[in-house]
Amino acid sequence: MTATTTLPAEAPAGRPRERRRRLSSRETVGGWLLSGPYILLFLAAAAIPIVFAIWKSLQKPSTILRPQGGFGGLDAYKSAVTDYRFWDTFKNIGIVMAVWLPIMLIGVIGLALLIHASPGRFGSVMRFVYYIPGALSGIANFMLWVYLINPSISPISGLWTTLGETTIKDATNPFNVPFILAAMLFFQGVGTWVVIVNGGLNGLPEEVFEAGSLDGANAWQVAWHVKLPMIRPWIGYAALMNIAYGFQLFMEPYLLQQVSAGAMQTEYTPTQLTFAFAFTNRNLPAAAAMSVILLVVTLVIGVLTVFRSGLFGEKDAR
Amino acid sequence: MSAADVATQHRAHVVQRPWSAGRTARVAVMVIAAALVLYPIIGFVAMAFRSQTGVQEGTDGFLGLAGVSIQHAIDNWKTLTAYGPRGGGLFQRWLLNSVIVSVSGAVLAVVTALPAGFAMARLRWRGRRFWLIVTLIAMAMPNTVLVIPIFLQVDAIGAVGQLWPVAVLMGFFPFGVYLSYIHFMTAMPHELVEAARVDGLGEGGTFFRVALPISKQAVALVTFFSFVANWTNFFLPLTLLTSSQQNKTLSIGLQEFIGASPLFNPTSAAGLTVKLWMPELAFATFISMLPLLVVFIAAQRFLIRGQTVGAVKG
Repeated sequence: MTATTTLPAEAPAGRPRERRRRLSSRETVGGWLLSGPYILLFLAAAAIPIVFAIWKSLQKPSTILRPQGGFGGLDAYKSAVTDYRFWDTFKNIGIVMAVWLPIMLIGVIGLALLIHASPGRFGSVMRFVYYIPGALSGIANFMLWVYLINPSISPISGLWTTLGETTIKDATNPFNVPFILAAMLFFQGVGTWVVIVNGGLNGLPEEVFEAGSLDGANAWQVAWHVKLPMIRPWIGYAALMNIAYGFQLFMEPYLLQQVSAGAMQTEYTPTQLTFAFAFTNRNLPAAAAMSVILLVVTLVIGVLTVFRSGLFGEKDAR
Repeated sequence: MSAADVATQHRAHVVQRPWSAGRTARVAVMVIAAALVLYPIIGFVAMAFRSQTGVQEGTDGFLGLAGVSIQHAIDNWKTLTAYGPRGGGLFQRWLLNSVIVSVSGAVLAVVTALPAGFAMARLRWRGRRFWLIVTLIAMAMPNTVLVIPIFLQVDAIGAVGQLWPVAVLMGFFPFGVYLSYIHFMTAMPHELVEAARVDGLGEGGTFFRVALPISKQAVALVTFFSFVANWTNFFLPLTLLTSSQQNKTLSIGLQEFIGASPLFNPTSAAGLTVKLWMPELAFATFISMLPLLVVFIAAQRFLIRGQTVGAVKG
């Protein structure tokens, strides 16, 4: 669909006819055959589940009396949206992101600029050090935080004493949770994003910075007035990818709830609510409806990332 | 600073001024940030080599480093492997399951991503642009968003609790297709494709005989990123494998350890003979990190060369 509308632009009117003929026959067959296995996996891991989820979200939940379910219209969406936890989960995500995103972006940009200003061994060693926690991704990062937030064994027990928390249950009180989650996400993500933004900085032409410093700007002024505006696409990309990630937050709050001895609510984020619909309430249509809602949100962010961040688009999606 | 310093030197032939205020501030900030990163990690790794007695009595000194010993690590390993019904062994089983799904997923990702990336980069066909955009968007979306729909699908075919659907689903790796696409765009000039065509090779022949032999770099990168993503994947195994204790992967196995630890659930842990305290949990995490370390070292030289490519996704 997209291909037919844009291909003429690629093959301007002056092109020999031969090219066009080949485009529609031999190479097309080759293209589909070579992409075939990947497309099959796309169908199995994305397209079919999405279609199935949409269909499922329009069913009635099955009960003992009515095991088949049957068409339920928008009932599942209604029961998902009117669930007493629905808006709370988005509010929670909003609070976590309000704490996390600014710290994340400032930390990533600041460290990337500092590394870029430090050529040679010192800079690359530091970049490697910042990257280390990124290797502790997933549950390994969570285990590390279990150790950090447990006041009795934590290496930062001084902090917990100051705050007056003596057990992990105290530490995971509703006020602290957004900060703990933000810290976990920051710790895990900052290194990878520093490497990405630093890669962006390294791709910029050196002459621009030289010109800046010849004009009498010091290193800090060059960083602020020259480098920062030039890496805006990477900043936008980082922001969008992290917002999409934030909407999908699951593992960290899910496990944190498990160790909080009941201090934390069971369904803290939208994805946890989806999980609860599917596995606790066994209301599969509501789980499907919730998935579709989140899918639309992240799809919009994904499309924005691809077409608006300025990193793809021109060279890739041509 | 680099450009500024170089420019200064060129202009006035003076040696770089040592330790200006700006330079001191920069180095200080960076060193403090590095210390903040390393401090908890050192403490955590040390925890894996300590004993619960030492932790409880608080006699292990700064970051617990004084309590570190190999004997404690051996004891922790024995405790972990004793976990499970009928004499234990679940930990090793989970480790094996993780290896099975992560390796099969990575192999599947390589086998599907390279030809697709080649087709999108170097063949002109209807659908090319469509699949490229689909790939980019799929890459920009967190994969957890599809997990519940995937669960509904796998549940519908009655394969929940089995390893194979997890391995197959892990094989879908759009980032790998994007990496391969960039690889063929940069490493394989159009002339090479044209030459292959003049030699009478078809699209398949061009891929297998010309493109693939120059793709060691792309194969290494796709394998690495896919393996790491599979190994650390939590939500997919959680929904698909939790129902079968034997078929869990290590990531959700660690979750079971948390649930069985007297640290967090004194009542349910009281019934268990195997007591998993923080040193055992840290040691299990430490073990779970070792395969990642191995693939990281194996892929390192490709990662450095492919940094600009690899740096596009976190």
